[in-house]
Amino acid sequence: MANEPLLDREFLERLERLTIHWQRSFAGLVGGHNRSRFSGGGQEFLDHRHFHQGDDLRSVNWRAFMRLDKMFLKMFQIEPRVPVRLLLDTSASMGTGERTGSSSDKFTFARRLAAALCYVGLVRLDTIQILPFSTDLREGKTSGGGRHRYRAAAQFLEGLESQGVTDFHKVVREFLNEYPQRGLVIVISDFLDEANCEKALQYLADYGNELMLLQIWAEEDRTPPWTGEVDLEEAETGGHMRIQVDEEARRRYTEAFDAFTARIKEIALRNDGKYAAIPTSLALEDAIFGTMIRTRSIA
Amino acid sequence: MLFLNLSLGQFLGLFSAVAAFSVALYLLDRTRRKEVVATLRFWVVPGQPSPVTRRRKIQQPISLLLQLLGMALLLLALAEFQFGGRQSQRRDHVIVLDTSAWMGAQAPGAQVPGAAQVPNRPGATLMDLAKAGAIGWLRAVPSADRVMLIRADGLATPATAWENDHRNIIKAILESQPGATALNLSQGLNFASQIQKAAGSGVSGEIVYVGPGRLTAREANNLNLPNLPALRVIAVNDDVANAGLRSLGARRAPGKDAWDVLARIHNYGGSPRAVSVTLAFGNAPEGTRTVVIPAGGEQEASFQVNTRAAGVLDARLYPKDAFLGDNYAALEIPQMRSVHAIVYSDQPDRIRPALASDPRVIADFRPTAQFKAEAPKADTLLDTLLILDRFRPAAFPSGNVLWIDPPSGPGAGVIKERVDHPKEISWTPDQPLTTGLRVRDLQIDQASVFEPATGDMRLASIDKGAIAIASVSSDGKSHIVTLGFDPFAPALRYELATPLLLANVLRYMAPDVFRDIDVGTQSAGAVVSPVTEEQAAGKNSLQVLSEAGASLPFNVRDRQVEFFAGDASRVRVIAGNNERVYSLTLPEMWDVKWTPPATVRHGVPAWNDALRRSRDIWPFLAALGVVLLLIEWYFYGRHAAAGLQISRPKLEKAA
Repeated sequence: MANEPLLDREFLERLERLTIHWQRSFAGLVGGHNRSRFSGGGQEFLDHRHFHQGDDLRSVNWRAFMRLDKMFLKMFQIEPRVPVRLLLDTSASMGTGERTGSSSDKFTFARRLAAALCYVGLVRLDTIQILPFSTDLREGKTSGGGRHRYRAAAQFLEGLESQGVTDFHKVVREFLNEYPQRGLVIVISDFLDEANCEKALQYLADYGNELMLLQIWAEEDRTPPWTGEVDLEEAETGGHMRIQVDEEARRRYTEAFDAFTARIKEIALRNDGKYAAIPTSLALEDAIFGTMIRTRSIA
Repeated sequence: MLFLNLSLGQFLGLFSAVAAFSVALYLLDRTRRKEVVATLRFWVVPGQPSPVTRRRKIQQPISLLLQLLGMALLLLALAEFQFGGRQSQRRDHVIVLDTSAWMGAQAPGAQVPGAAQVPNRPGATLMDLAKAGAIGWLRAVPSADRVMLIRADGLATPATAWENDHRNIIKAILESQPGATALNLSQGLNFASQIQKAAGSGVSGEIVYVGPGRLTAREANNLNLPNLPALRVIAVNDDVANAGLRSLGARRAPGKDAWDVLARIHNYGGSPRAVSVTLAFGNAPEGTRTVVIPAGGEQEASFQVNTRAAGVLDARLYPKDAFLGDNYAALEIPQMRSVHAIVYSDQPDRIRPALASDPRVIADFRPTAQFKAEAPKADTLLDTLLILDRFRPAAFPSGNVLWIDPPSGPGAGVIKERVDHPKEISWTPDQPLTTGLRVRDLQIDQASVFEPATGDMRLASIDKGAIAIASVSSDGKSHIVTLGFDPFAPALRYELATPLLLANVLRYMAPDVFRDIDVGTQSAGAVVSPVTEEQAAGKNSLQVLSEAGASLPFNVRDRQVEFFAGDASRVRVIAGNNERVYSLTLPEMWDVKWTPPATVRHGVPAWNDALRRSRDIWPFLAALGVVLLLIEWYFYGRHAAAGLQISRPKLEKAA
């Protein structure tokens, strides 16, 4: 498994017809196939300079040439490209959930999903910036310029490990400080942290980012399989809870989980974003071509 | 219910312990279950404390029940649980495998019916057929039954103890080899019966005799079989043609330096057979005799071998037949020894006839003037005799000396007086030198009366004293016989006492030379050697010695010495002056075929034979126990997600 690529070639070929879809228009977010209300591709006149051999003739100010018989070149200020930012949860809780009904844990599933989205963006000439996080925002990987840049991104994803405690507040603060430009922010996580992540996500949206929240959950995260007395240990903090699990307890647990999921979904929809809950027991193909297309996260 | 390895109490105790341990483990296992989860936040109901409890409660009673049931079945399997009563117990069987000498014969074309692994290779012997039959029977026996193997030839010998592991029995069967003796069926079956009764535990099973059932005439006449209700005979077909040497004997030819050799040949086949007997001495052919032997009959072939030297007589039988063991016999004959008598006499013609009458005496006559007191060589000390005829040497010689009528003088043989015409001669009885001498009115002209020294034996006496004495040297190797009269005097020439006395003196001086030698080759096993009544009475002088010189146990009954030789070897029977050498190089052969009683079971048990019914249910109990534990593991093991049913519609809905 360690030597296998995250996505095989056949699956990648199927991804080529997809596009990452966002609703808002962002300055500098070019190269994609989303419509923008900014004409001219976001170029602004900056200055003139003398023409030199090899310069683009299309930028010559022909009017000035007719009047002054000298060739001047128009210079424009080009807006910097704002990439699609993909926040990938690498906390220890993502390493759980392999035992029931799924072929992999949440972290592997999330990395594969991130790789698929990265490939979809690269095919459409979008720039994708993968930003792993757990307690802090870690160094990311920016990929752009076509599908041939996918390999480097995939290797970056394959080298990630799940560890640490999730701290959404700290991560969002660091993200907003480091990347002030607004844009599409895709968050792939189980959103399970000790503090409440809902406020942090709301901050992210309040700063003008469009959210695409992809909640990855294992079946045992929603429906615990155990009965009887169980000694539970939290993967991230190592906290213990000795509990008597019966049908009633399991039912209450599922209700609490569903309520939490509904709140995450509400944050995304309230801020004109997208939300998709993806169980690891689903095949990645079904998750992308089924769940994510239905939620119009990709088209 | 019957437990072979555990009593009911033991079983219940053991099961209780195992069940208690299992329940404890069960509870411990369920209470100490640890799970690593992504979060604990959804287990805590707001406003309520977390439900930390430790209830000792069996959550899955069916799982526990399956575990207990599976372990109970495994315990029952270990205890070799059986239904039924005594008839279902394991049984003790005894295999009596015939390992007599005849089992070394080549097998005929026919095979043991129904036997497994019947050898059909060339050169297979009856022993191979018997082994195949025994193994075939053993495979029909339930594995729980105990089996013992007894090898039966002249002696019944247990080859194994009571074995549950039948592989050990098969190994012992395959290691069995034909012996040198004939089958002692009575002893074998009686031994098997006794050992089966002595086994104590279990039910007596079968006693299985595997072999052709060939007995000696002695065994057939004294057949004393026990009452065996479960005797099975796995007969081995031995219908082969064979003629063999029964014995090879050699006796010293009277008056000659030669051996009379007699070979007895027996035809064991069902048709007359012509065979050639070839005799060789020291690899030099001595003669060939062709004899025609009727079916079941016996013929003799005699030879004369002229030799004084020791050597080996080989008798061979041609043509070769199915059993090669009795086609060859070797007989070791001893050297014909003689006594060297040096006679110092001035009138040798008086003594010469007496000494020349026996070819075992080589006489050398010398005048008394040539006497030299030379010490005889050590190797010829026993076979050299010095006869001093009526003269007193200056220095008395050493070695065996017969001193005839010594004149008076200093030194040995102190003469007290000289008596004319002595009367009433009395011979001292119970002396080897006076054997057969009874005559009292011997016509002696003159006799010297000796003054016997301490340790001298009186041989003959008159009223005035001893007239013949004998003495033995301190080392016991040399003897001196002194006669106070002249036995070769004209008056005594025709008396019987003279040669008798001389013969006694010669035997006394050189007993090995004058011992009657009768050598014979017989078969190993029980050997009977005839002895005279006097020899039988003197049991202390009887000796049965093995080739290595060790004494063999023997019994004297009806003027016969009986002893047993299990291996082919040379045995000497010494009775006084008589020595008989038995070269037991021939295998002991049979005379008649045993006919089993009508009630006996025959052959390897058929597939529907009661013997084959296995009463073991422990393999089924063990398998059932394992299946139950597997079921429990499959449905209730940790890998099983209790109550979790994943279906795609539910997932879709949840997503």
